Amino acid sequence: MSYIVPIGPYHPALEEPVHAKLYTEGELIKDAEVFVGYNHRGIEKLATERNAIQTLVLVERVCGICSHSHAFTYAMCVEAINGTEVPKRGQYIRVITAELERLHSHFLWLGIACHIIGHDSMFMHIWDERELVMDILEKMTGNRVNYAMVTIGGARRDIDDDLRREILDACVKLKAPLDRITEIALTDKTIAMRTKGVGVLPTADAIRLGAVGPHARASGVNIDVRRDAPYSCYDEFEFDVPVVDSCDVFARVVVRALECYESIKIIQQALENLPEGPINLGTKLPKIKEGQAVCRHEAPRGQLSHMVVGNGGLTNHRVSVHVPSFKNTPTVPFMLRNNTVADAGLIIASIDPCFSCLDR
Amino acid sequence: MQEYKRIDISKAEIVPIAERMRKQNVYLVMIHAFVNKEGLLDVSWDYAVDPGVESYHVVGETTLPSIGEIYDAAATWPERELNELFGIEFEGLDTTQRLFLPEDLLETQGRGQIMVTPLAELVEKNKKEAGQ
Repeated sequence: MSYIVPIGPYHPALEEPVHAKLYTEGELIKDAEVFVGYNHRGIEKLATERNAIQTLVLVERVCGICSHSHAFTYAMCVEAINGTEVPKRGQYIRVITAELERLHSHFLWLGIACHIIGHDSMFMHIWDERELVMDILEKMTGNRVNYAMVTIGGARRDIDDDLRREILDACVKLKAPLDRITEIALTDKTIAMRTKGVGVLPTADAIRLGAVGPHARASGVNIDVRRDAPYSCYDEFEFDVPVVDSCDVFARVVVRALECYESIKIIQQALENLPEGPINLGTKLPKIKEGQAVCRHEAPRGQLSHMVVGNGGLTNHRVSVHVPSFKNTPTVPFMLRNNTVADAGLIIASIDPCFSCLDR
Repeated sequence: MQEYKRIDISKAEIVPIAERMRKQNVYLVMIHAFVNKEGLLDVSWDYAVDPGVESYHVVGETTLPSIGEIYDAAATWPERELNELFGIEFEGLDTTQRLFLPEDLLETQGRGQIMVTPLAELVEKNKKEAGQ
């Protein structure tokens, strides 16, 4: 029997606005469609009415998970247009915040994936460890969601010696639970049965459809903006880019777990070599010179791009924001095909989607 | 700082450039658009030619060829978005379903309204329509 099974427009586990239409033969999904746009907030339009500092506040609210990534990328665009050189210490603080954000984002996703799988003890364990990262972010920035760490020309808050030591201690503390989480993720039978061979996106399809981030790397595509197009001070750190080629949901779990180690490595290097000097160029409201820039940042979910057009005034002429989910969501129908309806929720969630982010 | 290189091209060069980039396995970062100072549409195809971005611009055209057959959904999603926000027609692009904007907005206010009209004018227009 053929059925059309609707899911959403509210994802059962992610609490995100997306609608999927599954065309099934019995339990098997033969084809699928994904619909977005339920949370379009007109953020790009609003940005044209704001100055650069107000826009930082605005773009941080595109996403509640990778808020720093948006402020970071927008600031890079304005700095590129204006030819602003960001002080080294400010660059390091931006990178430390970005990697802490990646850690909490990956812990969040790993936890949710376990929850969908039905491994709730693992979900609670991972989220418990995530709190350590959230506490550090709160201590550093004063906030747990929108950190407001970025200003045009640098960072807004410094990291003093006490805090530096505390974050380094937290990185050490995080290693043992991360080892345990990774070991369980790699060896647990429940996780393996629910994820191995499920939601496969072959390498060629990942490239063809333009998949990015951990989602692409779990399909054997070796890309990472931090390494391929270094920005800020990323070229000063040593880190690996984990790539797995089994192309299934299991690979997406493994890649994200391994990336947590790399983020810790970057944070440790940045804190151990934190340069002296100013963190920003002052508080003067910057004009956005006439010109255009496109900047890319490896956000937790993959390549995030902002385009900014300036007209020489205080406000933006145009801001365009494209999040990793914009690139990864079109891969979902391909991954759903020939899987069962029961796995649909997990497969959609496996790209670590942020649909509110995508809708802007 | 990431390098950004603007290259102005003609409409006829869009597809051959996309084919060349695809052959070289270059990622399409995004297709962007804005209305420039002269009131003309400036559409750009931004490719990740690492470590920078090569940005191919076509100015003043409202109908453009789609590169969906070359870059699949990586191109059709941005094209659909620009169709909704700016009213740009991409030849051969399926626009029977909305992508972002609510259907009633597309029907009642016309495509391109949101990005092209200044917010203050939109507020004024809405007030007039509401009879205030």
